Amino acid sequence: MATAAGQNPKDAEPRDPVEGDDAEVAEEEYEEDEEEEEDGELDGPAAEAAKRERVHAVLNRLLSSPVGIRVHDVIIKGNAKTKEELIEAEVADLLRAAPTVQDLLRNASIASARLRQLDVFDSVEITLDAGPTELPGTTNVVIEVVEAANPITGNAGVYSKPEARSWSLEGSLKLKNMFGYGDIWDASCAYGWDQTSEVGIGVSLPRFKSIPTPLMARASLSSQDWLKFSSYKERLLGLSFGLLSTMQHDLSYNLTWRTLTDPSHVSSTSIRRQLGHNLLSALKYTYKIDQRNSHLRPTKGYAFLSTTQVGGLWDSKGLRFFRQEFDVRGAVPLGFYNTALNVGLGVGAILPLGRGFMNLSSPVPDRFYLGGHSSPVCSLSGLSSLLGFRTRGIGPTEPRRLVPSESDDGSTATQRRDYLGGDFAVSAFADLSFDLPLKLFRDAGIHGHAFLTAGNLAKLSEGEYKRFSLSEFGRTFRSSAGAGIILPTKLFRVEVNYCYILKQSEHDYGKTGIQFSFSSPL
Amino acid sequence: MAAAAAAAAAEWEEAERKVLVARKAAFGLPTACPTCLPVLLYLRMSQVPFDIHVDSSFPDADHIPYVEFGECVAFNNEKGGVIEYLKEEKIVDLNSKNPSVSSSDVLSTRAMVLTWLSDALQYELWVVTDGSIPHEIYFSDLPWPIGKILYWKKTRAVKQLLGITKLNAAEKEDEIYQKANAAYDALSMKLGDQIFLFDDSPTDVDALFLGHALFVLNALPDTSLLRSCLQKHDNLVKFAEHLKVQLLEVDTSTAGLGSSTDPSSSSTPRKRASSGRGYKPKPRAKKERTEEQKMFRQRSKYFLATQLVAVLVFLSLMGGVDSSELDDDDGVDYQY
Repeated sequence: MATAAGQNPKDAEPRDPVEGDDAEVAEEEYEEDEEEEEDGELDGPAAEAAKRERVHAVLNRLLSSPVGIRVHDVIIKGNAKTKEELIEAEVADLLRAAPTVQDLLRNASIASARLRQLDVFDSVEITLDAGPTELPGTTNVVIEVVEAANPITGNAGVYSKPEARSWSLEGSLKLKNMFGYGDIWDASCAYGWDQTSEVGIGVSLPRFKSIPTPLMARASLSSQDWLKFSSYKERLLGLSFGLLSTMQHDLSYNLTWRTLTDPSHVSSTSIRRQLGHNLLSALKYTYKIDQRNSHLRPTKGYAFLSTTQVGGLWDSKGLRFFRQEFDVRGAVPLGFYNTALNVGLGVGAILPLGRGFMNLSSPVPDRFYLGGHSSPVCSLSGLSSLLGFRTRGIGPTEPRRLVPSESDDGSTATQRRDYLGGDFAVSAFADLSFDLPLKLFRDAGIHGHAFLTAGNLAKLSEGEYKRFSLSEFGRTFRSSAGAGIILPTKLFRVEVNYCYILKQSEHDYGKTGIQFSFSSPL
Repeated sequence: MAAAAAAAAAEWEEAERKVLVARKAAFGLPTACPTCLPVLLYLRMSQVPFDIHVDSSFPDADHIPYVEFGECVAFNNEKGGVIEYLKEEKIVDLNSKNPSVSSSDVLSTRAMVLTWLSDALQYELWVVTDGSIPHEIYFSDLPWPIGKILYWKKTRAVKQLLGITKLNAAEKEDEIYQKANAAYDALSMKLGDQIFLFDDSPTDVDALFLGHALFVLNALPDTSLLRSCLQKHDNLVKFAEHLKVQLLEVDTSTAGLGSSTDPSSSSTPRKRASSGRGYKPKPRAKKERTEEQKMFRQRSKYFLATQLVAVLVFLSLMGGVDSSELDDDDGVDYQY
């Protein structure tokens, strides 16, 4: 950008931008400048001085008043593979729309950023060059791109996702710009410590014909193991299409063949009834506003996330449901010791669709589950964590299958239970983060926090909504409180928390004590 | 072991409801799946009151049919199956009411029904028919892409299980039908004029064979070879019809017994594939065609090989003779 900006005054200078009465004056100056230039070429130090004077003159003119200009042509160089239409569609309108040099300079920097964002070029340079001699007051914009020398990039890493209970090793290969449309192909595979695994290939296009927003398509095969919590294993084979993706809106369509199995044969009745194959054909819309000043340690701002999912677009045989989630966060700085108060509230509900929907059951993998150690402060991904409780550790449960054992004393062993999740979920948290007194910690970014989390789940499907009462729901809220230290390192973000369970229900799995949580450093 | 069996029996007694989870009803039968039907008939024979819950989303499950009683479950893929489990845990044991029957006799008959007849039925259902009957039973409630893929997987699995390959398809088919015929002959002789196979009192083998026979007579199309084999033995057909009336039609009319969540069990019109559609007499034609196909393939291979050799010869000759001229052309091309 500096190069582009640095060159601009010098190159623009022989073509003085003209507007109205300045035309004659400008032309005279132009002739003078040419003469000066010729003179300058003869004399070394004098030429330098003359150049500096011209640069100052141009800068003064630019600073004093808007200087009109017209873009005559946009010339693209360096694109051996990339199609010109792509680059033109990205930036041509922006550049041509600029009426003055100042606007043009600003638009040029935005255009350069946009082209860089395509992620297929090694470098982008925009130069404002002299326009044709017969048309004064015009400029040719030259966009010089250097395409990525090595189209294949790969990366691998160990990450931890909020939904997963443990680490996963992920590797991906990206092939950039294979067809010249700025298309990025990627193949990725991830393997989690708990036998969660995913393999997928995808393609993303920055624009397709007249649709200005990026399009994405992805095919993936993944499997998740929930045997320990809910006695089922999930296998998904799906296609997903990102139809609209901007800063705030995201619309995607998902077609997935989902199979639930129970190789352990101990699931409870409700889970057993849901085992089998189904086709999920759903449209998902996300609206996101994130005005917080940081993702890792927000101290000021607010954020709002709304996710709507409608399933059942295939036909009556597919899964049909409506799922809505809201998530609101706010951060307030308190002034001393870099303290900040973060609060958040999340609400979600899922409703089966179809005839007699009031007595149908909602699909188990799409319900809401609360529990887990991931930090509620950082991730804006909706409800899920409730510090102090195990993943899927609260909510409606059902006893698992009883296998009559050979116990001599006749007493039945404590029967394990399946956590079924809820159709209606509310969770909230309040977190006070502060710097630790030692300068050493402050420099390393290590800080402490004290938190209070609460949440509850309720079942509404299969006719249970008749027995639902808000007062009962409020009365059975689970909550926990605690304090801890956060250590952000280069590889991951470590949280060490001491959680104290304030309130839990009979079958919840919450433990008072010290817990560790690891998350990605981004 | 005894304690465990006693615990299971106690749980059965205490359970207020027993639920049989089976596949959907079709072809005039309360459940059209040949694995689920014997279990249902066994429970009816034992006069156990139970409800039926239809499972329509897991056609390739090994564990269906299963019986839930209280918080316990008897799965199809555990301990030899539901009937075996119920017998072993002394919960419902039809054979115990008939002590004079020789258990080795029952065992060998059971083995014959479970292997030869079952194989023949699976062969007819998955390999011979065109897919409309399995679709009706297993895949009608699933979206079509899933149904198609699962059907293809099952057909492949059955072929693998029966050891059928392209080469031995005809021999295997002969073998399967030969065994089925032998089994029918033996059963017909065993049954004679009796009501049940063993001395006029029901055993689990009666349930197993009855399930097989009802499926063959009601679900398989008229052109089915297996069906015509079975229909040759009048006493077997009468056995099936008589018990069907006694167990199925009587019980569906009685309120409170065998109430099904799927109300169409007795009112489903008998759907049978029309004679030519469901059953294709593939094997004979396949045998001849295989030989013809082999000849054709051999000849086409020779032809292609000759063509390839000719092309290679042409290229090498042309390349050798005109190499100098070609070079000149290249030179001209480069001078844009």
